[in-house]
Amino acid sequence: MEIFDQKEARSRKITKYILIGLSVLFIAVMLILPLASVIVNSLREGVDYYFKALSTDYVTSALVVTFIATVIAVAVNTVFGLVASWVITKFDFKGKNVLSTLIDIPFSISPVIAGLAFIMTFGRLGWASEIIDSINSALGTDIQIVFAIPGVVLATIFVTFPFVSREIVPVLNTVGKDEEEAASILGAGGFKIFRKITFPHIKWALVYGIILCTARALGEFGAVHALSKTRGGTFTLPLEIDALYMSGSADSITAAFAVSSLLVLIAVAVLIVRNVFEFRTKSKNRKGK
Amino acid sequence: MYVELKHINKNYGNFQASKDVSFGIEQGKLVALLGPSGSGKTTILRMIAGLEHPNSGEILIDGKVVNDIPATKRGIGFVFQSYALFRYMTVFDNVAFGLEIQKVPKDEIKKRVLELIELVGLKGMEKRYPNQLSGGQRQRVAFARALAPNPSILLLDEPFAAIDAKVRQELRSWLKNMIEKLGVTSIFVTHDQDEAIEVADEIIITNKGRVEQKGTPIEVYQNPKTAFTASFFGQPSELVDYKQFNTFKDLKNVDKVFVRPEFVKVTKKSEQQFYKTSAVEGVIEQIFFRGNTLELVVRVGDNVFTARRGLDEELVEIGEKVDIFLYRIFVTSGDEAHLVQNQSIREESLVI
Ligand SMILES: Nc1ncnc2c1ncn2[C@@H]1O[C@H](COP(=O)(O)OP(=O)(O)OP(=O)(O)O)[C@@H](O)[C@H]1O
Ligand SMILES: [Mg+2]
Repeated sequence: MEIFDQKEARSRKITKYILIGLSVLFIAVMLILPLASVIVNSLREGVDYYFKALSTDYVTSALVVTFIATVIAVAVNTVFGLVASWVITKFDFKGKNVLSTLIDIPFSISPVIAGLAFIMTFGRLGWASEIIDSINSALGTDIQIVFAIPGVVLATIFVTFPFVSREIVPVLNTVGKDEEEAASILGAGGFKIFRKITFPHIKWALVYGIILCTARALGEFGAVHALSKTRGGTFTLPLEIDALYMSGSADSITAAFAVSSLLVLIAVAVLIVRNVFEFRTKSKNRKGK
Repeated sequence: MYVELKHINKNYGNFQASKDVSFGIEQGKLVALLGPSGSGKTTILRMIAGLEHPNSGEILIDGKVVNDIPATKRGIGFVFQSYALFRYMTVFDNVAFGLEIQKVPKDEIKKRVLELIELVGLKGMEKRYPNQLSGGQRQRVAFARALAPNPSILLLDEPFAAIDAKVRQELRSWLKNMIEKLGVTSIFVTHDQDEAIEVADEIIITNKGRVEQKGTPIEVYQNPKTAFTASFFGQPSELVDYKQFNTFKDLKNVDKVFVRPEFVKVTKKSEQQFYKTSAVEGVIEQIFFRGNTLELVVRVGDNVFTARRGLDEELVEIGEKVDIFLYRIFVTSGDEAHLVQNQSIREESLVI
């Protein structure tokens, strides 16, 4: 009997190690190796070349555009995501299911189509271009949407808008309304309830949603590609990488890798920040304040 | 009346969860809302608290209509079935929450909260989080939190449902004492009859969104007024074919007939039978040991019902043939119920 148990325990152990091994192998081949090769390739022509490749006018301009688009998109979508999740989980109304399905559209639509949709809306032929024109003539401004920074920002907002609410809605659903109702009976108003009761529940989901949103905004290619045509003006980092790579010379391919490595490093940095942040708050909570 | 509901109707979409609900509760009373699952008990409680709004009818507290006063302003204490403690706050902060919102000075909050925590027997646990407490302890925190702002009314939704039987018994008497001591008007929801009888000054019986009956536990127990109450209260069994009991076979206007265990006299063949002529033969089908009595399931023809025998009496066996005598029965016709005595009790005692 005991021998049998031992045998069983050993085979369970073996299964465990095989599964762990497989996952590690998979992650190594699919993720670590390709990313590492980006870094390695970027350094092929030396550190000097690496920094030179990163400091061309095109790259710095792309960096600025990416930064602007990301910051605005994340800010807008955080607010939108919070409001939408709140509405979806706290109120009962007709069309609630439709709304929550609509929020998912950017997940299911190809970003290129999103970009084209904006061209059809705000471009020369679009129905909204007249409105923009009349605003421009009234205010004496020269606002351009398509093939300009606002278009890039809009496209980035579009493709990233489900992330925050997708993280928060499930949390709010499992938490339920009980605690909030208890707080309101004790006299707490809406904002107080959000700050003291709801927010602690969704804090990590929100941070995670923001991180996913940021990562996606930094890396968006398709939608932005449709709306952005000026290298050194409206190009974002991914578009700049594409342009460098497509120009075909060995030097520019190395430069493409250098710029890519920048995106990889930013992504890694974001994840590290998140983990440090999470670890700190957790250990603080464990001490009981 | 301190709390009063007048002709309350409440719909959830097409479903009517409260139908013309009216009742009043005197100040300082502890009242039980008793009814089967889905009968609208929680709905009534939530409307009194202001978490739900009636489609028509009025709710009065202390003589004032409160329909338009939001939950935040009603000054009611509410203990949720799931307790709904604030997970990210300590016991202290949970209890202090209501006082902080009222902007009570810090040192007063501290004094009152520690006082309450001691009152509910959780001294020394102020710094714990809800997930570090047992079910009974959480219940006490929920109670302390609801009481902290000195509410004029305390509402409790199945306060003991999530607690095991033994602790429940303790908490029940504890809660009753506590509420008596504080004199706060309280309404608690339960679907446990024993709990309602034991704890409440008055019982309100609900069924399918209606109030069936209201009265002291003894009134409701002895005098079920509606067909539903007769069929629900006091462990009744329905007699599907009451005509098999000779003495009752001439009843008129009968919809249904119910017997409670204490209405049934089970006599062994070897024992002396006082009501020979009107007793009928039955068979013992099941026996449950209930601690201080034996609960018997007896069959007479098509009728299967529950009876009891004391442990001091001679034991019966499954399959044993026994004599069954019914002292009385509840008869319902339409929505009404009334008690019918077995006439032969008088007649035969005259003969003997
Ligand atoms: N938000 C809601 N939407 C739709 N129907 C509801 C809602 N809340 C309750 N109901 C329905 O109203 C009826 C009464 O519900 P309620 O919660 O008041 O019952 P209850 O007597 O408290 O039952 P239980 O003992 O099971 O808690 C039920 O049939 C329930 O399905
Ligand atoms: Mg309920």
